[in-house]
Amino acid sequence: MTHPTDTGVRRRASDRPPALADLLGEATVLEITEQAWTALVGEDEVLVPLPAPLPAVTRSSWVEIVGPWTGTVVLTCGADTAVELTGALLREHAPAVLEDEDVDDALGELANVVGGNVKAVLPGPSVLGLPEVGTTPPAGREANTCRVAVLWRGQPLTVSVQSPAV
Amino acid sequence: MTLTATRFDWVRQLVHRESAIVLAPGKEYLVEARLLPLARKMGLSDVDQFVDTVRSRPRPDDTRSIVEALTTNETSWFRDGDPFTALTSTVLPALQAARGPAERLQIWSAACSSGQEPYTIAMLLEDAMPSAASRVSITATDISREMVERTRAGRFSQLEVNRGLPAPMLVRHLQRAGSEWEVAPNLRRMVTARECNLAAPLPRMGPFDVVYLRNVLIYFDLPTKQAILRRVRELMRPDGWLFLGAAETTLGVDDSWSRVVLGRTSAYRPLKGA
Amino acid sequence: MTVRALVIDDSRAMRRIVTGTLEGFGYETRQAGNGQEALDVLREGWLPDLCTIDWNMPVMDGLQFVNAVRANPAWRTLTLMMVTSESEHGQIVRALAAGAHEYVIKPFTADAIRDKLALLGLLPQEASL
Repeated sequence: MTHPTDTGVRRRASDRPPALADLLGEATVLEITEQAWTALVGEDEVLVPLPAPLPAVTRSSWVEIVGPWTGTVVLTCGADTAVELTGALLREHAPAVLEDEDVDDALGELANVVGGNVKAVLPGPSVLGLPEVGTTPPAGREANTCRVAVLWRGQPLTVSVQSPAV
Repeated sequence: MTLTATRFDWVRQLVHRESAIVLAPGKEYLVEARLLPLARKMGLSDVDQFVDTVRSRPRPDDTRSIVEALTTNETSWFRDGDPFTALTSTVLPALQAARGPAERLQIWSAACSSGQEPYTIAMLLEDAMPSAASRVSITATDISREMVERTRAGRFSQLEVNRGLPAPMLVRHLQRAGSEWEVAPNLRRMVTARECNLAAPLPRMGPFDVVYLRNVLIYFDLPTKQAILRRVRELMRPDGWLFLGAAETTLGVDDSWSRVVLGRTSAYRPLKGA
Repeated sequence: MTVRALVIDDSRAMRRIVTGTLEGFGYETRQAGNGQEALDVLREGWLPDLCTIDWNMPVMDGLQFVNAVRANPAWRTLTLMMVTSESEHGQIVRALAAGAHEYVIKPFTADAIRDKLALLGLLPQEASL
């Protein structure tokens, strides 16, 4: 998949990209994620903001934001959680048998929904990439990451808004 | 766990009687999901117990919260849009013809909830008359302090602006404020929000040219309905207009109003000498 | 009255959700995975009353699709509703300026879709909750 890189914004070499911490807080990321869950996964699907270790096998989906702030929004959960999440998202619209492609697609769409709303809070204009899915998300710069860890149906899930690793 | 058929039927009948909205069979899961938070607030662990408690001792506050949890009427902007269409097509021209150019139009949104109704009115008037900000004042009241504060702030979540607010009005009258949206300052200046219990003597307000009293009367018994309508009429101009909810009427409750059909909706006007 | 909708989104999960919601309101639906596929459906002669349009899609995005539809007078009766996670004020203005009638921000509930269809006069039956 290709990612548009020209945002139409011209920057001078002396311009420094804004620090993420000045633009976005964990509370906002949590609120955006909760709204995505309540609306799309189910109205009584609460996210409990408690950190817990992710299982050994995980699945991640992510979307890139390119603009005055450039980085990635990453959603990560256990591989089994991803399957359960897909079923919950599709509810009565789910096919008889869930294929891997269904799971990747659903996880990618959740990253797109959270990413689009994160982008709207950041300074614009910026461009949202198409979602990608995999076992290893792109590396981020730990010092410039806003991460929210929650439990959904008792299972750990994280949402990270991260600047690219240098 | 699914709600038993009798309990579901009781909820269906309540919602239909008080909001005219039909809960289709098979919506037990929806009733469960929406009423569970209310049950927990009462310290009960499931919806069955909650329904039994309210059935055995119905209180207007509880039945109101059930209907509100299941209808979401009040949280969408133009849902049941006819009373708003009538405002700009009939009521506003009539009032402009009857009032002097310097007279301020006073509108009351009673039971304004989180503010969608008063701001819908403000947007419509701002789009319909160039001098709305200086010519119109909108009083928004609610019994809940939290709702009054939310109305005053004029901020709405992403999910709230998705509910029936036409996109052209969204971009014209609201701006992003972090993860929320905020109503433009000129509209917020038109709206004054305050606490008010309709079932008690009303504060000095008005006199109002237009009153929106929608989906409120349904929660009260007949004598209280009559008392509310009488007090509302005392705060209205003699040629004012009253809008009620789709399932509500003054007929058979208070005969000092005349009903005027406006397209697909009705307004009520004080009868002269009544 | 049968009301028809073309649901355009690159996510099959989202296509299923939007399609399922619209069918619940009595719609007959077809799906397309991007703007180009949607144009192919229209050129085939299957003209819906409503198109729901995602913004970010491969091959042809939603805004390009809106522009393409608006450039063809034969398609002027189509009602175009964006359904997308693009939620900046400026993006909504751009879509409306290009000719979209309505805009639903993801995430949305079935109630939000129903409210918008009611505004557009495209709610076929008195949809209950």
